[in-house]
Amino acid sequence: MVLQPSERHYRDWSDRRWKGQESRVLTDRLQSPADPRRSVNSVMLADIISTVEFNHTGELLATGDKGGRVVIFQREQESKNQVHRRGEYNVYSTFQSHEPEFDYLKSLEIEEKINKIRWLPQQNAAYFLLSTNDKTVKLWKVSERDKRPEGYNLKDEEGRLRDPATITTLRVPVLRPMDLMVEATPRRVFANAHTYHINSISVNSDYETYMSADDLRINLWNFEITNQSFNIVDIKPANMEELTEVITAAEFHPHHCNTFVYSSSKGTIRLCDMRASALCDRHTKFFEEPEDPSNRSFFSEIISSISDVKFSHSGRYIMTRDYLTVKVWDLNMENRPIETYQVHDYLRSKLCSLYENDCIFDKFECVWNGSDSVIMTGSYNNFFRMFDRNTKRDVTLEASRENSKPRAILKPRKVCVGGKRRKDEISVDSLDFSKKILHTAWHPSENIIAVAATNNLYIFQDKVN
Amino acid sequence: MEFKLEAHRIVSISLGKIYNSRGQRGGIKLHKNLLVSLVLRSARQVYLSDPCPGLYLAGSPVPPPQPGEPAAGPPAGWGEPPPPAARAAWPEPETPPERPAGPDARRAVDAEPAAPGAGDTLQGGEEPAGGAAAEEEEMETGNVANLISIFGSSFSGLLRKSPAGGREEAEAEESGPEAAEPGQICCDQPVLRDINPWSTAIVAF
Repeated sequence: MVLQPSERHYRDWSDRRWKGQESRVLTDRLQSPADPRRSVNSVMLADIISTVEFNHTGELLATGDKGGRVVIFQREQESKNQVHRRGEYNVYSTFQSHEPEFDYLKSLEIEEKINKIRWLPQQNAAYFLLSTNDKTVKLWKVSERDKRPEGYNLKDEEGRLRDPATITTLRVPVLRPMDLMVEATPRRVFANAHTYHINSISVNSDYETYMSADDLRINLWNFEITNQSFNIVDIKPANMEELTEVITAAEFHPHHCNTFVYSSSKGTIRLCDMRASALCDRHTKFFEEPEDPSNRSFFSEIISSISDVKFSHSGRYIMTRDYLTVKVWDLNMENRPIETYQVHDYLRSKLCSLYENDCIFDKFECVWNGSDSVIMTGSYNNFFRMFDRNTKRDVTLEASRENSKPRAILKPRKVCVGGKRRKDEISVDSLDFSKKILHTAWHPSENIIAVAATNNLYIFQDKVN
Repeated sequence: MEFKLEAHRIVSISLGKIYNSRGQRGGIKLHKNLLVSLVLRSARQVYLSDPCPGLYLAGSPVPPPQPGEPAAGPPAGWGEPPPPAARAAWPEPETPPERPAGPDARRAVDAEPAAPGAGDTLQGGEEPAGGAAAEEEEMETGNVANLISIFGSSFSGLLRKSPAGGREEAEAEESGPEAAEPGQICCDQPVLRDINPWSTAIVAF
């Protein structure tokens, strides 16, 4: 697969809201191409992308950011006139999903940062997605309006009431075409169910329920009911001093609506069957790899904490991401993963520095491609890695401005671990740890990927010959 | 010996992280603080189990200077081991971690009133050549060493009752990765107020 940059979307300074003291303005001068939307000269913390997700057809791509906004991109229809330009993604809708809130009882501010977005499968003309911050999940309806009624009897064209004395005839309003308007409305708000910070949401394959997971509990919701949820997992110990692990991610099985998995900070994954009991505290399967004693250090526990878990599209495998590796597990084998891929093992000797600068707590996500043959995850220095499970080949690519000239091809990058550095290689000490790729997404059926690098969204497509 | 210095440094960094997390927007992150406390526990165990007596204040008794660790540098006043008064205040600084919580806790609490005194002695008595900056660092290492012995077997020793709403999360932060050594240790408030700044920070947290 040869990747070409498709487009890059910047966060536009002009419609940002100034967040006050907690935002930092980083000046970032760019060459601005003709499109005025692309000329950006400052970046705000609120613009940092915090989640990326394609919908089930790949037609839409949603991003959430630290400022609580959701931006949806839509792939334009491929036209016969421009065969060489496959569908590009353009902004379709932008809305403020979550606002900062204040919990008066605990004297805590609740961040508006969007932690996760999950799409519902499309059932009618409108699109539905779930977006969540630390405490509240919202169901948003995104719909198009391209007609409006005109010719009311009692109101004039501006909506003002007409003087009844002037009304002498009766007419029926007709629908007239108008400029396409995309509107997003919050249809449900699922609040007050989580004491701890929500880290995952997952739509069930029955399309009627979904789950939300925080550090210690997982709740099951029905889309229609907002004032109740079922608690299906609770790992909070009676005595908080005995707390040893937290839930880090959770996901429903893609086909079996009774099955889900959740990962923990201890590097374990539990598979649960909701048919077994109402409270799934006893797992059906328990996946754990024995620790390699030769790798023991002060930071062994941190780097084994799982940051993301994803079912394969087939439902036969799960993939987990911890700080240094990606692992693929077969659901039928609990005692070890079937594949382990090193993402950036050269960081193993630098764990202490990474602990000091907090990078060791970064939560990287991982994704499958549509056919489950390739997996992808992010790294530092705006690098991201792809592993082909069949050929066992891997590649490191970089999401950067220089590589994003149209019709350029992404060149593989290499990190040099010591000794002589070759010409194109970059040494470990030159890596920029502030440029991290935590969130990536893969189109469900095509080789199109979306990579979030801080405040920039890069979209790459497979080269068409 | 390097392990001890490394462990000491990691303990300082970890305590700093816990302290800073209090002011973070969005509230205390349970996951991150749990991981930090696990690191803190590992480092503490290494620190306490490393058989180098007299080093628990992270000073090298004799030259040559320790590279990389400014607090461990040999300023003039650090040469001698702590004065006997301080020794008496901490009866067993090298308490092995497997000791049951009860006796440890009581001893740690008993040591409390003497700690500020000993700390003062050290700080007053030493006159580091480095001036104010070195003095700051010495205070820090002294505080850290205090905390290492104070912690005993559980962080709950310093847990103070917070207002109802905040208690849940505050408890979580202080929680026992010390699952193997349960034990509620409660220090009286008047005692806690005498502890120097670092400890106070943890307590308030």
